[in-house]
Amino acid sequence: MILLESLNLVKSFGGVAAIDRLSLTVEKGMILGIIGPNGSGKTTFFNLVTGIFTPDSGKVLFHGKDVTGFRPHRIAKLGIGRTFQVPAPFSKMTVLENVMVSTFIHARTMKMAKEQAKKILGLVRLEEKADQQVLNVTLEDRKRLELARALGTQPSLLLLDEVMAGLTPAEVKASIELIRSLRTKDLTIIVVEHIMDVILSLCDRLAVLDYGSKIAEDIPDRVVNNPEVIKAYLGEHYRARN
Amino acid sequence: MTFQTEGARINHTPVIRRFTLPGLLLLFFLSLLLLPLFLSPLWIRIATEVLMWAGLAQSWNVIGGYTGYLSFGHGAFFGVGAYATGILMVHLGWPFGIGLFFSGVLSAFLALLIGYPTLRLRGAYFAIATWAFGELLRQVATILDITGGAYGLQLPAFLNLPFFYYIMLGVTGLTYLTIYLLLERARFGYRLLAIREHEEAAEMVGVDTVSIKIQAFALSAFFPGIIGGINAYWVTYIHPDSVLRADITDFMVVMAFLGGIGSLWGPFLGAVVVQLVQRVLWLVWGEGTFYLVIIGAAICSVVLFIPNGLIGVLEGQIFKPKEAIKELKKKVKW
Amino acid sequence: MELLFQTVIDGLLIGGLIIVVGIGFSLCFGVMHIVDFAVGEWVMLGAYLGYLLVAYFGYDPMVFLPLIFLIFCGLGWLIYPLIYRAVSGKRHNPVIMGLVFTFGLSIIAKGGALSIWGHHIKSITTWLSGKSIMLGIGTVPALRFSGFVFGILVTIIFMIFLYKTRAGIIIRATAQDRDTASLMGVDVRRTGAFVYSLYAGITGMSGVLIGSLFSIHAAMGAKYTTLAFFVVVLAGMGYVPGVIIAALVLGLLQSFVGVYVGGRYTLAALFIVMYGVLLITPKGILRRGI
Repeated sequence: MILLESLNLVKSFGGVAAIDRLSLTVEKGMILGIIGPNGSGKTTFFNLVTGIFTPDSGKVLFHGKDVTGFRPHRIAKLGIGRTFQVPAPFSKMTVLENVMVSTFIHARTMKMAKEQAKKILGLVRLEEKADQQVLNVTLEDRKRLELARALGTQPSLLLLDEVMAGLTPAEVKASIELIRSLRTKDLTIIVVEHIMDVILSLCDRLAVLDYGSKIAEDIPDRVVNNPEVIKAYLGEHYRARN
Repeated sequence: MTFQTEGARINHTPVIRRFTLPGLLLLFFLSLLLLPLFLSPLWIRIATEVLMWAGLAQSWNVIGGYTGYLSFGHGAFFGVGAYATGILMVHLGWPFGIGLFFSGVLSAFLALLIGYPTLRLRGAYFAIATWAFGELLRQVATILDITGGAYGLQLPAFLNLPFFYYIMLGVTGLTYLTIYLLLERARFGYRLLAIREHEEAAEMVGVDTVSIKIQAFALSAFFPGIIGGINAYWVTYIHPDSVLRADITDFMVVMAFLGGIGSLWGPFLGAVVVQLVQRVLWLVWGEGTFYLVIIGAAICSVVLFIPNGLIGVLEGQIFKPKEAIKELKKKVKW
Repeated sequence: MELLFQTVIDGLLIGGLIIVVGIGFSLCFGVMHIVDFAVGEWVMLGAYLGYLLVAYFGYDPMVFLPLIFLIFCGLGWLIYPLIYRAVSGKRHNPVIMGLVFTFGLSIIAKGGALSIWGHHIKSITTWLSGKSIMLGIGTVPALRFSGFVFGILVTIIFMIFLYKTRAGIIIRATAQDRDTASLMGVDVRRTGAFVYSLYAGITGMSGVLIGSLFSIHAAMGAKYTTLAFFVVVLAGMGYVPGVIIAALVLGLLQSFVGVYVGGRYTLAALFIVMYGVLLITPKGILRRGI
């Protein structure tokens, strides 16, 4: 079953196309990886799906429904959650309160919101930091908080924008485990990442963007051996390494 | 117990403080209730004025402090309230209470009108639009017949000082109570703060930022409307240069900032300090215009040196040792 | 017909002067993201300084324009570090702090002027005062015309500076993307100081002309702050070339409302237009704002 579909999306800034006729389909329950050079339009794609930008043309379908041009809060209510590449916490609130703002979306009372938020913090292993001010937590914890806040809206589709950038190898490993554990048949995930090991160990399918267009999409093993992908993104040394 | 870093305000204090705080507040308001029995008329007047400004500064704080959108024309809502109450009482013969309520509603409605196009944009647009709105209203009041033009409006005289003290106390108390319940205790407040801290992220987790901001602005205009109405009945004679003068906004801003924006007690503290300082200055220099320089300098200095206001300074002093200990503990643990 | 012609000319002439007030203000926002609430107060202080210089030396105020420009550049240069401090560092919400800080500055300037000169209205007389020029079917006050010429000249020089010189390119680069510019070796802080002092200089200088055209008093700033705001909203926040069209539109609007409706309704008319623009096309009438 198709969960998310983008049809011929176009978005340009000052005459330069950041996304150029991009069509992608995401099946329910899969983990899709998106890779591509810097500026290839990965984050812009997320911004188009979540309604932060409105596409110049093209459509976004979610559960078969046209959601193009919806404001982000409506998209969130429909069940798309996302993390920001640079963590964007509510700095002067505690970790728990950060997540509560997102659990408000479905919780009927403050108490319920708090309980849900606590449960999610447990899921991402942040429960010990629940009452700390965000200003005082580490980058890794902030990245986890991003994830927790995205999960707080109980999404059926989760967009992860470089959640591992800047983490140590050990932290990356823990994060991979964490994302794997989130995977259920009700949660579909799209991962944007530069670390190839992460992509290869997580994703069922892999799409490659270059200049805002999709140049390849297949199972990861086949994509990384695609000559065009190697030329545009991975580089010759990658082929040599494998 | 968590240390509240600069200006943080949502209470996650331990249970004991949660119960003692409302208790102390109750005591505080009880003592305010009894105050007129012990004060001379002059001091009742001063106390009424302090209460008035405390309410106004807190109202400004809702949009300026909690939401992070600066309204530089907030004095206009005070003026709208004063004129609405005045017109309803003089021209339509409405009773004071109903006129008062209507003034608040009218203010909130005007805020809705101003907020609708501007709160979708960056904060600078909002600041500009509200400022221009304030300038506009002053001119409009001078032009219209119903407001009495530049001559103003004479309300039925009601010379009863304690009455005004108590009603001001009631309305200001209500302002603080509403803001406490809505902003410090309910999801509305969390959402406002989320908007101030990171608007895009707030939107991304399902907060309808535009609608919430407009609601906050309407709320922050409602109380000044009512307070303006009380003020009109109290001073009995209003004109554009009194209830719509530009420095009403200036005072709200300086009080909220000096006390500490985004905190429940900051604006109250700011109102008390500024009012008292102003009284002293009047005694020393007489009524002049130099107080404007002092207000401006105070605003600038607060921004430069104590961006979290006096409340921030106080909290810093009280909590600093604890924070240091906590920091130390953290280091040892890791 | 003659009235219509006169109204159009008047509007354009006023517009020419409004450009000067709007252009630095817009640049300030574009480069540093600072909305300077004290813009009208710079005009007011410029007017007073012009008045003082004329009263003391007795020469024509136009002679002092370069001097006043330099003095206000210096003032801007001195004040900028404070603004920089307000909007940078560990400040929680820099935009708010910047807004409030300049709001405070404007109150200081207004209060200071009121305390020194009181509510008295002053004016500057120049050799052009009272003279007029025949232009087509109508006459034009020479002073207004020179104000317009001044506005256009300043704008042209400013545009050449911004688009043709090295410093101008640096400024525009900074306006586009501060982070990238600083990576390219642009000292963003110094660029900011430069822009702010340039803006203060131009605005102060325009104050002299405004002061000789209209009257000078301590509370006059509010009017020009409003005008600068409206220009920038109409032009699109931070879009400098839009200022020219927006200022002329506003000048015309002001003059038409003044003649056909009544002078006291101008602010209301301007406000309604601004409200409409914000409602329909918040990026300005040219849709180029940020």
